[in-house]
Amino acid sequence: MIAACLKWVDRRPEWDPATSQVITDARTSGLSAPDAAALELALRCGDAWSQPVAAVTAGPPAAEVVLREAIAAGAARAVRVDLPATSPSNVVASALAGVLADLDATSTWCGDHSLDRGSGSVPAYLAAELARPQALGLVEVSIGGTDEVSGLRRLDRGRRERLAVAGGGVLSVEGSAARLRRAPLAAAMAARSAPIEVRVAPAGDPEPATLAPGALRLYRPRARVWPAPDGDTALDRIADLTATGMTKGRPETVILEPDSAAERILAALAAWGYDVP
Amino acid sequence: MPDVDVIVVGAGPAGACAALTLARSGRDVVLLERGPFPGSKNMYGGVVYPRVLDGLIPQWWDEAPIQRWVTRRSTMMMTATQALAVDYRTEAWGQAPYNGATAYRPDWDAWLAGKAEAEGARLLCSTTVTGLLRDGTRVVGVRTDRPEGELSARVVIACDGVNSFLAKEAGLYHDTDPGHFTVGVKETVALPKSVIDERFGVRGRHGVDIEMVGCTSGVPGGGFLYTNLDTLSVGVVLKVPALAAQARRPEEIIARLKAHPAVAPLVEGGELKEYSAHLIPEGGWEMMPDLGCPGMLVAGDAAAFCLAAGIWLEGVNFAMGSGMVAGQVIDRAFRRGTAAGAELPALYRRALSGTFVLQDHRKLRRAPRLIMSDRVQERYPALAAGVVERIFRIDNPAPKPGLRRILRGEQHRTGVRLRDLARDALDGWRSYG
Amino acid sequence: MIAVVPVRDGELPVGGLETVAECGGRALVVGSGAAAAAKELAGLASAVKAWDTDGFLPGRWATALAPVLVEEPVVILPASPDGRDLAPRLAHALGRPLLAGAVEVHEDRVSLARWGGLAIEDVTPQHHFVATLQPGVRGVERHDGPEPDVELLDPRLDPDVTDATTIEVLPPDPATMDLAEASRIVAGGAGLDSAARFTQLADLAARLGATLGATRVVTDRGWVAHERQIGTTGVVVDPRLYVAFGISGAVQHTSGLGQPDHIVSINTDAYCPMMQLADLAVVSDANMVLDALLARLPERSAGRA
Ligand SMILES: Cc1cc2nc3c(=O)[nH]c(=O)nc-3n(C[C@H](O)[C@H](O)[C@H](O)COP(=O)(O)OP(=O)(O)OC[C@H]3O[C@@H](n4cnc5c(N)ncnc54)[C@H](O)[C@@H]3O)c2cc1C
Ligand SMILES: Cc1cc2nc3c(=O)[nH]c(=O)nc-3n(C[C@H](O)[C@H](O)[C@H](O)COP(=O)(O)OP(=O)(O)OC[C@H]3O[C@@H](n4cnc5c(N)ncnc54)[C@H](O)[C@@H]3O)c2cc1C
Ligand SMILES: Nc1ncnc2c1ncn2[C@@H]1O[C@H](COP(=O)(O)O)[C@@H](O)[C@H]1O
Repeated sequence: MIAACLKWVDRRPEWDPATSQVITDARTSGLSAPDAAALELALRCGDAWSQPVAAVTAGPPAAEVVLREAIAAGAARAVRVDLPATSPSNVVASALAGVLADLDATSTWCGDHSLDRGSGSVPAYLAAELARPQALGLVEVSIGGTDEVSGLRRLDRGRRERLAVAGGGVLSVEGSAARLRRAPLAAAMAARSAPIEVRVAPAGDPEPATLAPGALRLYRPRARVWPAPDGDTALDRIADLTATGMTKGRPETVILEPDSAAERILAALAAWGYDVP
Repeated sequence: MPDVDVIVVGAGPAGACAALTLARSGRDVVLLERGPFPGSKNMYGGVVYPRVLDGLIPQWWDEAPIQRWVTRRSTMMMTATQALAVDYRTEAWGQAPYNGATAYRPDWDAWLAGKAEAEGARLLCSTTVTGLLRDGTRVVGVRTDRPEGELSARVVIACDGVNSFLAKEAGLYHDTDPGHFTVGVKETVALPKSVIDERFGVRGRHGVDIEMVGCTSGVPGGGFLYTNLDTLSVGVVLKVPALAAQARRPEEIIARLKAHPAVAPLVEGGELKEYSAHLIPEGGWEMMPDLGCPGMLVAGDAAAFCLAAGIWLEGVNFAMGSGMVAGQVIDRAFRRGTAAGAELPALYRRALSGTFVLQDHRKLRRAPRLIMSDRVQERYPALAAGVVERIFRIDNPAPKPGLRRILRGEQHRTGVRLRDLARDALDGWRSYG
Repeated sequence: MIAVVPVRDGELPVGGLETVAECGGRALVVGSGAAAAAKELAGLASAVKAWDTDGFLPGRWATALAPVLVEEPVVILPASPDGRDLAPRLAHALGRPLLAGAVEVHEDRVSLARWGGLAIEDVTPQHHFVATLQPGVRGVERHDGPEPDVELLDPRLDPDVTDATTIEVLPPDPATMDLAEASRIVAGGAGLDSAARFTQLADLAARLGATLGATRVVTDRGWVAHERQIGTTGVVVDPRLYVAFGISGAVQHTSGLGQPDHIVSINTDAYCPMMQLADLAVVSDANMVLDALLARLPERSAGRA
């Protein structure tokens, strides 16, 4: 069995300044691009290795839409573990791992990060729980013989690493790794009422103890440490620190029509001392 | 044997009401929508008149996802620096059975389509209809953009909105002059509810609908400003050919409207949340296509059932009404075993003629041309505003001028000819009277 | 607090120095050339543990390092590609919660970037935890100082834990090097509506004597080569002037930005992080502004280099 772990998440969250909350909407929620790519690759493996594909999600009943999308595209089974949408990564991972072990999934496909948490940690937790190798954040995938996959993973500073996994593993992919196939019309219609297996999450306090969710606030960049200023005199150092050699005024927000915007930008560049033709 | 009884294309207000009507009668209905959910891509000004639902969804007001009930309606004539408003408020519109309400389309359409689903209609989103299946001249189904994407039905209802691809493919449009279209552009501007309540003088769930003429920078059209719970919808409806001819951008015209002295204090400080644009089949009666062909009926904007006649900007109610009638006519034909016959479109037209859908359009058929004339757009607002300004201006030590002198002076200044005024008044009386 | 810094060939990852600084100079460096990399921490750290070991084996490293780290209440890794992969394995092996994608870490308060940088969540951990720190969020202050004392570790690798096999490491494309060194960058994000816009943007960059950059959304769409991606998983740049067209300013992007003297941002959303960072924030349609700028700037004459 091949598995795809799919998370139900809002693709267009909005910040509500009045309540300091991120507002989500079930109508714009569904598969993220990385999870859609994961599903497609799971299906391709299913085709290549003649194995059925199971779609698995941990979430509330509304999350079943992602499973229906998977069934429409060709998944043979769909399992939802009943959990609140905001469950932390390790809780999600242990719930998913239980199902994956039951299904006897060898290769498990995930997205490289979920849009809300964005940590990309569920796949790594899964690898740990299932004691399987991980290949995470793949941008390019090639499918070999049964349970053999290799792929290209981004490293920092523009480098890449080519990884190979044999005998199954947990693989996570970026959204560009594959484009999800369109479901045939009849399959899409049938998926509306296809059966979905629902499991209760393992009872008891998860290990380790999870943290209470904290208060949200609008993202603001953190104050940064600046390198010590250069200069022999205090005045030079202050000038260096504040870059007064250049006119850097107060930050400014302007609402303009395109033409005026262009004029304003060119004027600013000139005022800051950039030669503009 | 067709796959299903009826395919409804487009889960806008027209499609949802058609599907709801048919599903309730026990028909096997599939509702196909190209967006990821009903209403996702749909925009409009912001006021719905849902009384047409009284029969279909009794007590709809208890559950409909509305923003505010319109209890204050203002019609404004404007020049660059002046505004003359007729402002009407009534408590009656703030109680059941209500009159108009502001609502967001994604909420409204999703709610209506949800009702259809609850009655057994099968809704399939992210599915675009790309063509009609035909048997000779009869429409027998649709082709979609999905693999193996053909679906057959005994009847197809085209509710795919303005510029209907299906109605055109079936050859039902005879007049596709771009002059019949207007483009609507709208900004949604966020402001705290308390600020909106205060600026517009309303409380609780009550809200305001302001329609404006003479505010579109010389491009024939009109403007609107509606209050939602914590946003405003502000926009303009513009004549397409004139917009193109004047090489103006709609954003520019909205920006000027928002800067108008009568509007600026209302919208000031709001955060722009969304900008959207959409065509409107403003031509109404004059551009109305054939309403169907064997195997297919057309409802809503797809059939140009939209009233964009100046102080009226209605389409959702016509869409809901025509969708319901299409559903009823088809159900009746199924019962009589005549759905396959070529007379379906004629039955549909006859049924519609007995309702507001065709009656209002017929009555107001001259209105769009009148409203878009440069007299109504520019000169009459200037004349009216000028007259009022002179009446209320105190030029002491000069004595007050007589009304007749004011009228003549302003008429002269604005270049309005009495003959035109009389003719337009008559036209207006015939259209609206 | 201790930083766990995975290195390759003696080279620190992006965010490595910042993580060590966040931990007040306490660090454990692991990977090939770890001892050499530890010396790079001069002026920042005084005592460093180093485990010189080949490859990148997150599964086996985690089980091997867990006993070394059990006494450490807080373990922080950089949210670099390797740090991000290793951290959950370490958290699992240590039986602790993971606070991933932090912008600030204290023992009793951690600020996490959520929703792709839309929001920050402030959590108050009661117990020991593992965190990852977004590169580029804090900067580092280095003093001249001696090389740190390096204590070499050699924990046992558990042969029962399996990891993927690295087949090869591909070097950065030389085409990116101009980006890393450019002093003026013009970059585009998902607010630009088509691939053709990026041809225009490259043209604008040329006319302004600047280099073209993009966000990951754009490089993922294939509209711009991956080498042009700015950010933690792309190229880390350090221009003087940065002009952003339709870029929301997600942390992963802005943390690769360095500290430009001047930022111009053109966006329809006046409140997104990129607009907050900008010296000139222009609320307008980036596509139209691009057209308008091109209409105003002369083509670059062949004479100018
Ligand atoms: C700026 C503006 C302001 C307006 N203001 C108002 C107002 O204040 N009050 C009012 O009552 N009316 C207003 N209208 C008019 C109103 O929006 C329309 O009359 C109404 O939406 C028509 O409903 P409909 O169901 O016929 O079409 P639509 O609402 O356009 O729905 C058509 C549906 O079909 C789907 N579709 C289209 N093609 C396909 C395809 N090929 N396959 C599958 N699905 C398809 C679309 O996605 C859509 O969901 C306004 C319009 C505009 C543009
Ligand atoms: C582990 C990890 C690593 C990552 N690494 C990187 C990285 O190295 N580099 C990187 O860039 N990203 C990276 N990302 C992705 C990052 O989180 C963001 O998703 C990405 O930077 C967003 O790109 P964007 O600003 O182009 O798109 P969006 O966030 O979609 O923003 C588009 C912006 O355009 C604006 N807009 C829309 N229409 C218009 C218009 N007409 N005119 C003007 N503005 C308009 C919108 O208001 C919005 O602000 C990473 C993510 C993860 C999880
Ligand atoms: N609740 C969930 N249900 C199913 N899969 C999930 C869930 N949460 C995360 N995943 C998978 O793990 C990937 C990374 O998510 P995260 O670790 O939350 O950033 C996602 O792209 C999914 O493939």
